[in-house]
Amino acid sequence: MAGFQTRKSKNAAMMGLCMAAAGIGLAWLALILGALLWKGFSGLNLAVFTEMTPPPGEAGGLANAIVGSVLMTVIAVVVGTPVGILAGTYMAEYGRFSKLTTIVRFINDILLSAPSIIVGLFVYELLVRPMGHFSGIAGAFALAVLVIPVVVRTTEDMLLLVPNALREAGAAIGAPRWIVIRSVAYRAALSGIVTGVLLAIARISGETAPLLFTALNNQFFTSNLNAPMASLPVTIFQFALSPYEEWQQLAWTGALIITVAVLTLSVVARGLTGRRETR
Amino acid sequence: MSQMLPIGKSAVMTASVPAKPKVEVKNLEFFYGQSRALKNISLALPARSVTAFIGPSGCGKSTLLRVFNRIYELYPNQRAQGEVLVDGRNILDRGQDLNLLRAQVGMVFQKPTPFPMTIYENIAFGIRLYEKLSKSEMDGRVEQALQRAALWSEVKDKLNASGLSLSGGQQQRLCIARTVAVKPEIILFDEPASALDPLSTAKIEELIDELRSEYTIAIVTHNMQQAARVSSQTAFMYLGELIEFDLTETIFTAPREKRTQDYITGRFG
Repeated sequence: MAGFQTRKSKNAAMMGLCMAAAGIGLAWLALILGALLWKGFSGLNLAVFTEMTPPPGEAGGLANAIVGSVLMTVIAVVVGTPVGILAGTYMAEYGRFSKLTTIVRFINDILLSAPSIIVGLFVYELLVRPMGHFSGIAGAFALAVLVIPVVVRTTEDMLLLVPNALREAGAAIGAPRWIVIRSVAYRAALSGIVTGVLLAIARISGETAPLLFTALNNQFFTSNLNAPMASLPVTIFQFALSPYEEWQQLAWTGALIITVAVLTLSVVARGLTGRRETR
Repeated sequence: MSQMLPIGKSAVMTASVPAKPKVEVKNLEFFYGQSRALKNISLALPARSVTAFIGPSGCGKSTLLRVFNRIYELYPNQRAQGEVLVDGRNILDRGQDLNLLRAQVGMVFQKPTPFPMTIYENIAFGIRLYEKLSKSEMDGRVEQALQRAALWSEVKDKLNASGLSLSGGQQQRLCIARTVAVKPEIILFDEPASALDPLSTAKIEELIDELRSEYTIAIVTHNMQQAARVSSQTAFMYLGELIEFDLTETIFTAPREKRTQDYITGRFG
């Protein structure tokens, strides 16, 4: 009986430690979200979405930064997703047993964890210097470079989860390889692949470093991709470091907007994955 | 031909089988990388008849089945050597179109493998690969295939439900319907009932019995009673060799080979 008591108290101690650790982790998250809501929410009004970033000391909004962020993110996703999906398809389907796939997977993993500032510098050398000026298109390109490895990885992983029996079944009724991939494998892996794209969007929408070297910033509204373009992360970076109260308030509000957007995407992504598992 | 067979003069592998052969296998060898999984197999499958392949796990019966539609080609390092004649034409020829071959030689797998789409689409998918049909023609073909697989009455009110929503036995019949829908001439069954309950198994066996009048059928099974029930001729394989091939009745009542006798009486395997 003494042994039982010892085990019981050991168990209680262990469980207490685990709960404390979980609590510490969650506390930071709660603090960050709380501070964001507290400071950001008070500055949230219609003007934030309709007015341009103001000069110091004046009221204004984040319209140009929001539009810039959305524009560059959309372009990055439109460019990066097909490339990523096709590469992932090659790795999981056509080239599953080839040496090339092993190499590509290795390089992709490096790219996946590469500091994004390196990507910014790379695009700076590749596009900004030859063009002679910062531009929205360079920013979008840098973001696309960040999208690709995420999509490659999830596409490959999700396609590898599709059982081979399904591919054999497709082939066994006389379907060519590409039809089996398109109509059977993609369909089976669809929610996973969509989740990957959403995660990629979530990742790039908070990126600042690659945009500092590429799109830079713009005080004014522009949809001209050949000109410097404002974005939420860079604006937050600039405004948060400034001594002006209006700017600081806008930075908080911008941070709240990004966080809510990314959180929404993550929840949607989680929902899609969950649906896949319960089916 | 018999002098090439590994098991001596008693092995006249086609003599006792009456009907005209649909598939003729001649000196077939199969390799997984370096390892030889089939050794000098020769036999003939008669048309419109059920041939069962029995033998202990790893004896090569599934491997042999997978040669008939060359599904093994999906994987590297697997190759077959020898001849497999379907209607006198060697399907192992380099020039053989694999998709056409597989439309002609259908296959039903051990685990039910419905595609991740609706019941209707599961059937229409295969038909659409080779035929352009109007909506009403397609509806007719889908119904016909489902009727053929004895599934129509159970699914006719939910054709737009996911194929994955069906029970295991229904899924397997859906797979049979899908296979029949492309109008193959030969159907390969790779342990089609081993993942199913007895009732579903009985339905599948009934179905195979009905299909025999139209199709040349080859079935791999672990279940000897099943082989005895559904097939007209039975091949016993062991360690990659074809040990004995004869009318099912003969195999199960008076096998020539001791190893066959030992296996069917449960002394090994």
